[in-house]
Amino acid sequence: MEINWGLIWPIIALQAVLAVTALVSLTKAETEQIRGPKWMWVLIILLGNILGSVAYFIGGRRAS
Amino acid sequence: MSMFWIHFKKEMLEAARSYKWIWVPAVFLLLGVMQPVMMYYLPDILMMSGDIPPEAAALITVPPPEEILASTLSQFSTIGLLVLVLSAMNTVAGERSNGTAELVLPRISSVLPMMIAKWAAMMSLLILSFVLGYAGSAYYTSQLIGTLEWGPMLGAGAFYIAWLAWIVTLVLPLGAVLRGPAAAFIALGSAAALTMLASLLPSHLQWSPGRLSAIATECLTGGDPSAWAPAVSAVCFMALSTIAATLLLKRRPLLPQA
Repeated sequence: MEINWGLIWPIIALQAVLAVTALVSLTKAETEQIRGPKWMWVLIILLGNILGSVAYFIGGRRAS
Repeated sequence: MSMFWIHFKKEMLEAARSYKWIWVPAVFLLLGVMQPVMMYYLPDILMMSGDIPPEAAALITVPPPEEILASTLSQFSTIGLLVLVLSAMNTVAGERSNGTAELVLPRISSVLPMMIAKWAAMMSLLILSFVLGYAGSAYYTSQLIGTLEWGPMLGAGAFYIAWLAWIVTLVLPLGAVLRGPAAAFIALGSAAALTMLASLLPSHLQWSPGRLSAIATECLTGGDPSAWAPAVSAVCFMALSTIAATLLLKRRPLLPQA
């Protein structure tokens, strides 16, 4: 099977954008604003693909 | 009117600070783009897994382009809708904790502009995300599988936006009385219930806004559904929700919750 990488790289790039945005938001936030330890969220964002980042954006931060 | 703009700008700023303008469109774009790619490679992947007899594998073919776009819509109605509702859940309920409510509520005349501004901000995010995801999916589908016709595609998109919009709007009145997560789950639950009812009793619920997602799919796959009643009722529904949210906020002032 021939994989056309021209098709795949936009998907990888988008995932990267999502993960980087989540990580930037995580590093900028104060520790008290984050539910649970920060390193846990780093693992979730890096290992959880789309859902990891989405979980962080929805559940990771306390309402200000 | 100026009150509206003040609140609208505030909503936009808040959304930008919480990176909503990046991550929600990114999720929709990913969902939209992945669907055609996945469907395109599915027969190959199944073949490579090797557990399927060749006769069965021959039955699995790439579906026509309209069906792929329709399956993208069904992705949007699960994960996409969940993301939209959850990201919107704190727009009203969150005002309790951060104190805007105390500033705004003494002047009752400013509650309605605030609600409308919140609604408009939610809709901008929704429309941007959906259009990006849908366009991405349509582009990939037409490149990989076959050409799509503009007419049904745009029609289906418009009905689908109406469907997403009325469900997300439910969060406003619910958020005025409940906490954020509770509001989100009740909104999703009642949307699911209405949509299921509409598909069980189609003749009794011609006007139900729950039919809009089915109408969008039908539009794509070549039907010509008569859809004005659900679309109009969705618009009425949104107006009612916004007004109800305003009244509920007035009657039950937002007290800071512990």
